[in-house]
Amino acid sequence: MAPFYIALWGLAAVLGATAVGGLVWSIRRGEFDNLREGAASIFDDEEPIGTVTDRFPGE
Amino acid sequence: MQPAEERERLTRIQIDRSCRQTVVWYYASAVFWLLVGSALALIASIKLHTPEFLADWQWLTFGRVRPAHLAAMIYGWGSMAGVGTLLWLEARLTRNRLPFPVLLPATAVIWNLTVAFGVVAILAGYSTSIEWIEIPPATAVLFGFCIAVIIAASVRMFRTRESRHTYVSQWYLFGAIFWFPLLYVSAQIFLHTPAAKGAVKAAANWWFAHNVLGLWFTPIGLATVYYLIPKVIGRPVHSYHLSLLGFWTLAIFYNWAGTHHLIGGPLPAWLITVGIVGSVMMFVPVVTVAVNHHMTMVGNFHHLKYSPTLRFVVYGAMCYTAVSLQGSLQSLRTVNEISHFTHYTIAHAHLGVYAFFTMVMFGAMYYVTPRLLNTEWHSAGWIRLHFWTTAVGMAIYWLGLTWAGWEQGRMMNDPRVPFLDIVRYTVPWLWSRSAAGILMTAGHLSFAWLFWNMLRQRGAYLPGPTLLVREPERAGAAAGGEG
Amino acid sequence: MNRAWMLALGVLVTIFASMTGLVLLPQTQLRGTAPVKDEERDITLPAGYYGDIEEGRKVYMDLGCIYCHSQQVRPEGFGADIERGWGARRSVARDYIHDEPPLMGTMRTGPDLMNIGARQPSAQWHYLHLYQPRITSPGSIMPPHRFLFELRHSAEGLPEDAVRLPDEFAPKKPAWIVPTDRARRLVAYLLSMDHNYEVPEAR
Repeated sequence: MAPFYIALWGLAAVLGATAVGGLVWSIRRGEFDNLREGAASIFDDEEPIGTVTDRFPGE
Repeated sequence: MQPAEERERLTRIQIDRSCRQTVVWYYASAVFWLLVGSALALIASIKLHTPEFLADWQWLTFGRVRPAHLAAMIYGWGSMAGVGTLLWLEARLTRNRLPFPVLLPATAVIWNLTVAFGVVAILAGYSTSIEWIEIPPATAVLFGFCIAVIIAASVRMFRTRESRHTYVSQWYLFGAIFWFPLLYVSAQIFLHTPAAKGAVKAAANWWFAHNVLGLWFTPIGLATVYYLIPKVIGRPVHSYHLSLLGFWTLAIFYNWAGTHHLIGGPLPAWLITVGIVGSVMMFVPVVTVAVNHHMTMVGNFHHLKYSPTLRFVVYGAMCYTAVSLQGSLQSLRTVNEISHFTHYTIAHAHLGVYAFFTMVMFGAMYYVTPRLLNTEWHSAGWIRLHFWTTAVGMAIYWLGLTWAGWEQGRMMNDPRVPFLDIVRYTVPWLWSRSAAGILMTAGHLSFAWLFWNMLRQRGAYLPGPTLLVREPERAGAAAGGEG
Repeated sequence: MNRAWMLALGVLVTIFASMTGLVLLPQTQLRGTAPVKDEERDITLPAGYYGDIEEGRKVYMDLGCIYCHSQQVRPEGFGADIERGWGARRSVARDYIHDEPPLMGTMRTGPDLMNIGARQPSAQWHYLHLYQPRITSPGSIMPPHRFLFELRHSAEGLPEDAVRLPDEFAPKKPAWIVPTDRARRLVAYLLSMDHNYEVPEAR
């Protein structure tokens, strides 16, 4: 039983460490800068922010 | 028109045009399976309160019709509407043409044949009797091939994308297309080989089934909501930080929720507890996404009157929040003790796959199809009928079975109540579910009628890429949102 | 987050993590589970599935019985399965070692069947119930499975294996309703469903 629980808790620890490590690495690389640009990226000159792009047909 | 606008305008026409054949084939197939699945659903529903209905046909016995309904809806309607939407979204987000003009439509044909094979196999008695994956294991090869082509197309478009920034929807879509084949293939291996044995197969079953919801349908649905709400109302997503948090917490926690289907069951306690913890932690991504979508919509709810897409998508997004919060609660032992094994679970399941995912897909198809075929929908009246029948039908469905299931569960836990009394109690509620189902099917027929007329281009012709744009409303009222 | 490979890596890691935790680790933990020995009768339990019982299990699967019936007795104090007489003890993983796949089910439109063989040991009861559930269980919504039976004309009188139907359901004599092989096998399987033997983990 003991080796199994070591494996279980070990897996949990490794996964947790990977997640935290991934987060730190991403922040260092600057992945979290300029997020506002991302939000606006689906708009452009043809369909700019502020334009509604759907309505019922004929209305 | 200035040269810059000219170039971008052509690009959007070209993007949408390149998607036409593939996405229309996927969408048309999806509508077909929606109707097949609805017919099977009605038969199954009626059989529950009127067991003599069509009782002498073995191929339609409840135990076969019910999984056939599920297969037609999950692998037929849901997945095909999802793939069509996924491909169009990726083309739009990367501002690329959809590649593989022969292979991609071919996958639609293969997918259809595979689903048809699966549904017929179930009705003929070849069901694997494993929930959510009753179709024969050989289908893994066919679905795997189709997804491989879809992944190749997605990666190709992503690598040649115009902008360095990847929008939130793109993350969810990548998640979906990598998660689904891994899930499906692994599940077939665990369930049909000694890789997992006995009771562990049940864990594998529900790891798969719950993750089909959480890692295939949910990401496609959320990707669609994240794109369409801002696009329709012309306002960026409220908080990009929240989007990031929502995606990664979903990826981490949703994966682990599966064993909440086995609470009280014959598996190690730690396994069940892990599933409950994962399920409860889902509060984080769900509330994150809900806040994000709500804050984006704030001040813009009046658009629901004018946009069919928005109606369906917002209904769906709200039900995503509702069903997920309900799910987190259902995974708590005290609630589960009552709700497990009852119609309550069925109501919950449909709140997810229908009220959330299906309604969002309807919204997507209303937005995308006119842009592919340069044709407007031919009638606002039929669209309204579609919306109200499905919205109200779903509400009746959920209310009826939730109440029935809860009472069913409470009575089942009281050993003094004879079992047949419990059955008798649920029958009127099962009738209400059939009534709801008839309403919903009426909605599907309306939608199919609209889609048919769209294919025949009966609506107004719409030139240009930005078909439905009115004069831009001045910034201030509609613009804004922090990044 | 702008790199496809970063996204792909995160996506893959998350799913392999859950696969390991929810499937591979439990498999490692449970793979050595063996049947228990019943010294008195000199058999091991649970018994495996052979012959008609194995074929009957396949009929259970092809007809989709799992969509209304469960096969898992919940522990004492969690629900009322034991008080309802659905089992002498809760179900444990050991009970399913021969079940490929296990048919635990998630709906109880009908009762749990883990120990139905102990509860209803009469083949005639099962034939009646399958032919027309409302004969044995008034108010039941279970579908009739008349397609599992056939009409047999017999000049010599009541065939031995005939289903003893009440008059209102019985065909005109000299015809009788008899079970087909599929029905026989299904009932053999149902009668074999008895998991009340003792196991150390559920004393």
